[in-house]
Amino acid sequence: MKKKMTFERKRTVTGACFLLPSAILCLIFVIVPLVDIFRYSVYEWNGVGSNMKFVGLANFLRLPSTEGFWEMAKATVIYVVGVTILVIVIAFLLALVLDLKGKGRINRNFLRAMWFVPCLLSGAIVGILWRIMYNYNNGLINTLIGYLNLPKVNWLETYGVTMGAVIVASVWCQIGMCTIIFLAGLQSIPEDLLEVARIDGASYFQQLRKIVIPMMASSITINVITTTIAAFKAYELPYLVSNGLPGYSTRLLTQRIYFYGFRSMDYGTASALSVVLIIIITLISLLQLVVLKRREDIY
Amino acid sequence: MKGKRIRILAGEILFLLLTIICWIPIYYFVIGAFKERRDIVKYPLKISPDLFTVENFTYVWKKMDFLKTLGNTAFITVMALVIVIICSALAGFAIARIKRRIFMVYYSLLVALMVVPFIGCVISLVVLSNRMNLYNSLWGCVLIQAAWNMPFAVFLYTGFMGGLPKELEEAAYIDGCSTVQVFARIFLPLQAPVTATCCIRCGIGMWNDYLVSNSLLNSARTPTLMVGIQQFFGAYVSEYGYAFAGIILASLPILVMFVFLQKYFIKGLVAGAVKG
Repeated sequence: MKKKMTFERKRTVTGACFLLPSAILCLIFVIVPLVDIFRYSVYEWNGVGSNMKFVGLANFLRLPSTEGFWEMAKATVIYVVGVTILVIVIAFLLALVLDLKGKGRINRNFLRAMWFVPCLLSGAIVGILWRIMYNYNNGLINTLIGYLNLPKVNWLETYGVTMGAVIVASVWCQIGMCTIIFLAGLQSIPEDLLEVARIDGASYFQQLRKIVIPMMASSITINVITTTIAAFKAYELPYLVSNGLPGYSTRLLTQRIYFYGFRSMDYGTASALSVVLIIIITLISLLQLVVLKRREDIY
Repeated sequence: MKGKRIRILAGEILFLLLTIICWIPIYYFVIGAFKERRDIVKYPLKISPDLFTVENFTYVWKKMDFLKTLGNTAFITVMALVIVIICSALAGFAIARIKRRIFMVYYSLLVALMVVPFIGCVISLVVLSNRMNLYNSLWGCVLIQAAWNMPFAVFLYTGFMGGLPKELEEAAYIDGCSTVQVFARIFLPLQAPVTATCCIRCGIGMWNDYLVSNSLLNSARTPTLMVGIQQFFGAYVSEYGYAFAGIILASLPILVMFVFLQKYFIKGLVAGAVKG
């Protein structure tokens, strides 16, 4: 009995040592900065020196009246909603088409790989690429429009249009990923279920509405929530496509954190804004966990 | 029957057309990289031997100090991956095989950390790395990348270790192996699949990273690929050919790996997206 105790205790000690490296790294570089950002958000501070003045919630209360805040909040919401809806709808349709089997169709593996490639490019690269394509005088898109004898569009400096342009660029590089997850969901639907429906004379759209979509509920939820979170976090891609212009109409709140922190050296406001974003994203993620728990899904 | 075949054919042609449209941006930058600027503007989609030039690549190679930039990115990616894999394999083993309640608490805490967005902590991380003398140091970047990828990697390894059969270790313990030996001799050699997933999922993120290296490295002295490209070809780019050549050089490693390891890529990224 005594020997067993020491063996188990030894294992506990070894286990604790095994956890140590990851724990130390996460403590220093994730948890400490996370605590710090909450701490800084109640101070007025320029980031250097020890000249920190406690101001309570003043940084938060000031946020709504800072220049362009509501325009940027609106831009963020439009961006998040636009990207999420487009990505989900397009990826779902794409997955349905990629899942079709039968004679006379093109190789699905090849097509799937084709649609997947844009996901492998860095956000910075996609941003630069689309900025060039949207260029008024020399960009590809206006050149193509010119071939059709239509008037050129000023993609990057027109209110309303530019946000659409930014969203299209983001959607382009995110579809592939969602499609793959939808495909995994589609392939987990038992074949005999659809077989029975077909024998009973259900049309393709009836099968889709009554069987496929309900069975796909969990992958739809996962995709909606991961896409929403990714859109909230988006920074370099929208920034590099439109640089926030015209006005504040495509400037997202993430870009504003950078501006306060590293341009105007206002670390207090930057931290307050960061805290707001962290809280929003955490709430969305909690929603994700709750939904996933309840669904006990295929993954 | 014939009508159905025509419908399928029409559908496939339409789908192929959409796929081609989706690929126009990629086609545009790939062939554009081999053209001069005025030809890119004038004949954006044309391929012709008369327009061919490799001058863009030689320019970018020199101007970006490409080998050094590539070296920085490769160093950060490889070192951070090594650290992530070692630390999370150890942690995953402890959590899934030694099974103490306190380890489970730790695991839940790490999983919760996956939610925290990096952009939200950029400000305090810059302050922190300044204080620790890690600002503008490649090792600082390595450690930060490793730490921020750790929760997800531990999640992957714990899941994988937990799925291995119990008989594996029992015999070894009876024969008198220590826990460390069981880990090193029995579990470690079995980790190839999860390590591949981890390398692909975390590796792509590290290679493509812009935010971390842009905030924590001096972009003039120690640029990484994505930051370097943005520096030279970002906001006010007019030399499209150079930008395209830079884009190709920077993404080539990942694209080439994708062509050869396609199956693992898609599997790895799906595993990542489901909980990430």
